[in-house]
Amino acid sequence: MKHFNNQMVVEFDSISKNESFARVVVAAFVSRLNPTLEEIADIKTAVSEAVTNSIIHGYENGDGRIRIETHIVEDTVTVIVTDYGIGITDVEKAMEPMYTSKPELERSGMGFAFMEAFMDELFVESEVGEGTTVTMRKVIKQESSEADKVVDEENK
Amino acid sequence: MEQRNLFDVEGEILIIYLPEELDHHTVGTIRENTDGLFTCKKIRDVIFDYRNTTFMDSSGIGLVMGRYREVRYLKGDIYIVGVNDTIARILEISGLYRVAKKRKDIAEALCDIEKKYEKGSHYETF
Repeated sequence: MKHFNNQMVVEFDSISKNESFARVVVAAFVSRLNPTLEEIADIKTAVSEAVTNSIIHGYENGDGRIRIETHIVEDTVTVIVTDYGIGITDVEKAMEPMYTSKPELERSGMGFAFMEAFMDELFVESEVGEGTTVTMRKVIKQESSEADKVVDEENK
Repeated sequence: MEQRNLFDVEGEILIIYLPEELDHHTVGTIRENTDGLFTCKKIRDVIFDYRNTTFMDSSGIGLVMGRYREVRYLKGDIYIVGVNDTIARILEISGLYRVAKKRKDIAEALCDIEKKYEKGSHYETF
């Protein structure tokens, strides 16, 4: 199995059209690890949740910027989503499944629950008036692809 | 590519054709286009057709829950049809099947609704 370390950063405007851009760019970056379709779907959903939270809650649908940093260290992917919005007063409360501060927007209250379910680790740091950083980690249980096997064989 | 409406209304049944990617952005479009129907028409049952959907996040759960709140007063049901494996996993984790019925396709859901009201009228006249 081939390991490599890699990093990337993207920053974009806080608008709902960018939700798909955000998850696709992270998925494309991670695809080098040969993840399964399921692992890719998990990461895309988790990124979408974090970015949507920043847009709706962090910036309350107003102007702002969202930054996504992605690290690959061996077989582990770390995605760090940061906004510079209003922050979360009570992180523990916000993370309770089914809790939403915006029921009028028909939010399901499952954003953090989904991030927890689809990633291996989740950390949320928030400062009121400063913004929120969500760090998510997932180990890609990669099986060596046919191409890797050929390369490994040649390198013997 | 097959050009389709966003939704269809058949009697008191609303069929919503979900997009390829179901997120906060696309859910907004669906709500803008269908919310008005609930105020001007009697909608009793809603079918969500996931046939073309390959991505979904929790915004999609909020959409279904919201329609469930609309129809439960009329004792209507929510049907989810045409889900692939990826979407099925998300729906299961969300617990959405507690409030929505899973059916293979639109035809199966329509038959189910037909039967439901046949039975209902039978009981009423009995």
